[in-house]
Amino acid sequence: MQTVLSAANILLPLAYLLVAVDYGFLFFAAHEVAERTATPALRGTVLLHLAFLAGLAARHRQFPAATLSQALSVVALAVAIVYVFVEWRGRARSTGFWLVSLVFFFQLLSSVLARPNPPDRAIFHDLYFSAHVSLALLGYAAFVVAAGYAFLYLQLYRDLKGGRFSTFYGKLPPLEVLERMMLVALGAGFVALTGAVVTGALWAERLYPNWMHDPKILATLATWVIYAAALLLRRLRRWQGRQTALASLAGLGAILFSLVAVNLFFTGFHGFL
Amino acid sequence: MGGSPHDRAPSGPRPQDPPLLLVGTDFRCSPLDLREKVSYSPGETEEMLVHLLARPAVAEAFLLSTCNRTEILLHPQDEDEAYRTALELVFLKRVPELERPGRLYVKRNGEAARHLLAVASGLESMVLGEPEILGQVKQASALAEAVGAEGAVLRRLLRSAVSAGKRARQETGVTSGAVSLGYAVVELARNIFSGLGDSRALLIGAGETSRLVARALLERGVREIAVANRGAERRQRFQEEFPEIQVLPFEERLEALRSADLVVAATRAEEPVLTARQLAETMDRRPSRPLLVVDLGVPRNVEPESKRVENLFLHPIDSLEHLIQRNLKRRKEEVPKVEEILDQELAHFRAWYRGLAAEPLIARLQKQAERIRLQELAETAPSFPPETHEVLDRLTRSLVRKILHHPSTRLRGKGGDEDLPRLDLVRELFRLDEEKDGEE
Repeated sequence: MQTVLSAANILLPLAYLLVAVDYGFLFFAAHEVAERTATPALRGTVLLHLAFLAGLAARHRQFPAATLSQALSVVALAVAIVYVFVEWRGRARSTGFWLVSLVFFFQLLSSVLARPNPPDRAIFHDLYFSAHVSLALLGYAAFVVAAGYAFLYLQLYRDLKGGRFSTFYGKLPPLEVLERMMLVALGAGFVALTGAVVTGALWAERLYPNWMHDPKILATLATWVIYAAALLLRRLRRWQGRQTALASLAGLGAILFSLVAVNLFFTGFHGFL
Repeated sequence: MGGSPHDRAPSGPRPQDPPLLLVGTDFRCSPLDLREKVSYSPGETEEMLVHLLARPAVAEAFLLSTCNRTEILLHPQDEDEAYRTALELVFLKRVPELERPGRLYVKRNGEAARHLLAVASGLESMVLGEPEILGQVKQASALAEAVGAEGAVLRRLLRSAVSAGKRARQETGVTSGAVSLGYAVVELARNIFSGLGDSRALLIGAGETSRLVARALLERGVREIAVANRGAERRQRFQEEFPEIQVLPFEERLEALRSADLVVAATRAEEPVLTARQLAETMDRRPSRPLLVVDLGVPRNVEPESKRVENLFLHPIDSLEHLIQRNLKRRKEEVPKVEEILDQELAHFRAWYRGLAAEPLIARLQKQAERIRLQELAETAPSFPPETHEVLDRLTRSLVRKILHHPSTRLRGKGGDEDLPRLDLVRELFRLDEEKDGEE
């Protein structure tokens, strides 16, 4: 089992690298073979990645995020899953190169930092906790992807509005498609974050009676409200693509604040992240 | 048409290109009024090719006639005579003024071959990389083939030309990006909307510019197009030319604007035909859908303040010119890549032509072997029962074919100067010259 996992640890970044190259051919040269192979190759690699993490969980009998290496691999998988979903819903693949490259980067770091025997941590045996962490990472990954599309949307919006035609002009999907992909990622992220908040609350209720006073939870709830408002206003057609894109970037700022600043300047039970 | 020069055995240094002669005039050499007079319709092209082939000096012929060029390409038997014939029949008979220096260009052999490849790739077009020329070359080739004017040399050269044109389009960006007003509008729309097949367009004005845009939009499959114009007569003419387009009185433009995704204004009106307020009100009713407004009018047809309206993209004519210049610059940057493709295709053509030199030698080798086979069979067969003769025939035929297969394959394609010693060695080893002399 360990040999298979070690081999997969080496194979995974290589597989993502090949998929990124395939998407690169699609983005830079609109290559015919890449048109046919990029998406199936990515889906196959995501399945391999899922099997790898399932193997890790089975081997160590705990949720595979007990070390930085494992957590990075879960983040890579979360971004890859979100992108597969966004690509499927958005029906455009020309942004795949950038996102799969990001996945490759995370997985490469994970593989380089991997150690054969992670510590046995009781918290990672809890089912609620595992679901909470998985959903939170999936949600954050989706919001990062959404922010990526928001950035590209604003770039193209600015080019088209101002009659300037930058390097990206003509290579990006149309504005409507970028907006659709951003909204799909935002929707997926919002559902996952809501799930993370609910499972987190159920889990914390048993262990930390005052969990509502935790600064990380307050910051996360604020983030949730930003995304909820953005999606609602877009749904009600009060906001257009540009405002939603700006809100997506603001949401990413709130996530970074809750991940970094809260941990640095406040104390709470979320210190492990 | 007479024998081709490559029926002869390779007995000395051979030129790398077949004899070719190209005479032509294009937009650089002649103004439109002269080019019009030497423009050939498909029927006239066929007729001219037949006339040319009737001359002993011409072995093969190909005539390309588009709005920007007329060129005759010949594979001549007698180059000087073929030149005089082409000049007189194709050009001077119709337009004597073309005799003036600089009106016509003449290219020979390799230069003529490369020129044809460059034409098919769009490098010689008025608008660099213009893709229609490849289709025109194919059509002209089909016409020449239909009247029997294409022989082995021109057929192979035109195959290389079509291949070069296709590769230039697929492997380089020389045809990418819009370089005309109509397609620049399409390009902008494609950067905003997920599919033009779901988009509706409104054209304001029914003049020549609107016609160009309408054609480009129809070609790209825009779902619905409406045209609003003041003058009823122009509306009528527009309707006759484009029956699939809805024609509206000018006053109904604001109503049509509500459902449009793309608006192109191209009128000569002194006052704006769309104000910022009208556009802002329209956008209030459709907040989630972007609107592309292209103003091709001079003076401006759309109030410049409209640019501030959220989700509305206003592009004046300067913006489109900027886009076209950018695309043209990018196409120019791709020219070296196309030149490389032309070099490769020309090299393939030359290799094919060199290969022709070995064909007579291979034919003689096979003929000699067949003669020996039949001779031996005639001597030996009587010693065997008659029912085995067919088997013997099959057996010997198969032996000869298999023995000669590899040498023939290796010889095929060897015809360059560097290959001549090898061909001479084969000739000497198999005594093929004696064979030839014997035959003679």
